[in-house]
Amino acid sequence: MASAMTEYPGNVPVWVNKDNCKACDICVSVCPSGVLGMRYDHTSTLGAMISVDHPEACIGCNECELSCPDFAIYVADKKEYKFAKLTDDAKERQASIIANNYMSLDQQGAK
Amino acid sequence: MAFNYDKYLRLEKMPTLWCWGCGDGVILKAFVRAIDKLNINPDDVCVVSGIGCSGRFSSYVDFNTVHTTHGRTVAFATGIKLMNPDKYVICVAGDGDALAIGGNHTIHGCRRNIDITMIIINNFIYGLTNSQTSPTTPQGMWTVSQKSGNIDPTFNATDLAIAAGASFVARETMLDPKKLEKVFVKAIEHRGFAFLDIMSNCHINLGRKNKMASAMENLGWIDSITTPLKKWEALPEEEKLNIFPTGILKEDKIVREYCDMYQDVIDFHQGKRKTITQDDFAKKI
Repeated sequence: MASAMTEYPGNVPVWVNKDNCKACDICVSVCPSGVLGMRYDHTSTLGAMISVDHPEACIGCNECELSCPDFAIYVADKKEYKFAKLTDDAKERQASIIANNYMSLDQQGAK
Repeated sequence: MAFNYDKYLRLEKMPTLWCWGCGDGVILKAFVRAIDKLNINPDDVCVVSGIGCSGRFSSYVDFNTVHTTHGRTVAFATGIKLMNPDKYVICVAGDGDALAIGGNHTIHGCRRNIDITMIIINNFIYGLTNSQTSPTTPQGMWTVSQKSGNIDPTFNATDLAIAAGASFVARETMLDPKKLEKVFVKAIEHRGFAFLDIMSNCHINLGRKNKMASAMENLGWIDSITTPLKKWEALPEEEKLNIFPTGILKEDKIVREYCDMYQDVIDFHQGKRKTITQDDFAKKI
């Protein structure tokens, strides 16, 4: 029996089901604190895959899970993980990730 | 532990056949969460879908499902509801499905005010068959059937539903999944015909030729043509024509539901009820 991988893998705020992700960039665009970013991946259909770059900055707002059309990304419960507060650093990082075409900051060039 | 979707989905069908970034998936997720919030037994829900990208909706949810012919979702759902008045019947249709080929069934479903929740996934185009003009395509947009720009006036689905007599009419966009979940909860709880116009994106078949080739650009365009109802009412008259109001546009709890009235007729013919008069069916205010 298949599973949506909703079980908590332990000690992470956000986790990804890479079998379902289609790299549409929506979760990266809705994150307020620059936690997520896309990375080049030649095995993926669109040539990119989501990666959780800054788990320490996650504020647990659940926006990425709700906006994901493909049941690929999940956020931990507030009881299971102690989330951070939203900082100005995180907001700046999010703005630069969006300016970098939703790619992680160390990934250069257009997707 | 995140929200447990396993209970409500047919996971052997995943990943979905929809394109990357398609709003149908967000609407599916919000719908599943709304069913969980209402604490309804999955066996008490019947999802009826038509043809189109939205027709795949019934394949992914693990409720009772019917995948029907093009535009006939309300016709099938009316039959299911009359036989099972205690079950929750949900219609899922696209804009071409519900408003073009199935327009007749939609308006008569609204008129009867039968207890069906109708979710119209409005992506402004016939997406599955590669971009033909649908009733909701905005004027001036490129489509396969009108390559120099669509000249057909745009259809306002919620105005039609209000005029036809649906007792719950709302419009939402897939930009705000939390609001979407709330409106689904209200619509499913409502006793009567609930008509939901959910605006969704199709950046593949509408967007590519209309300068919004990514999901985010298309969502930005949807954001620019919608505004909450209270702000919309304050707009000047000439701007109201180009902007769609979102939120609950009509909620009528007084008008009687079709299955209740039908039960009165059954009771009369079975002798459980002595008389039946015109006043029994009239709207009491």
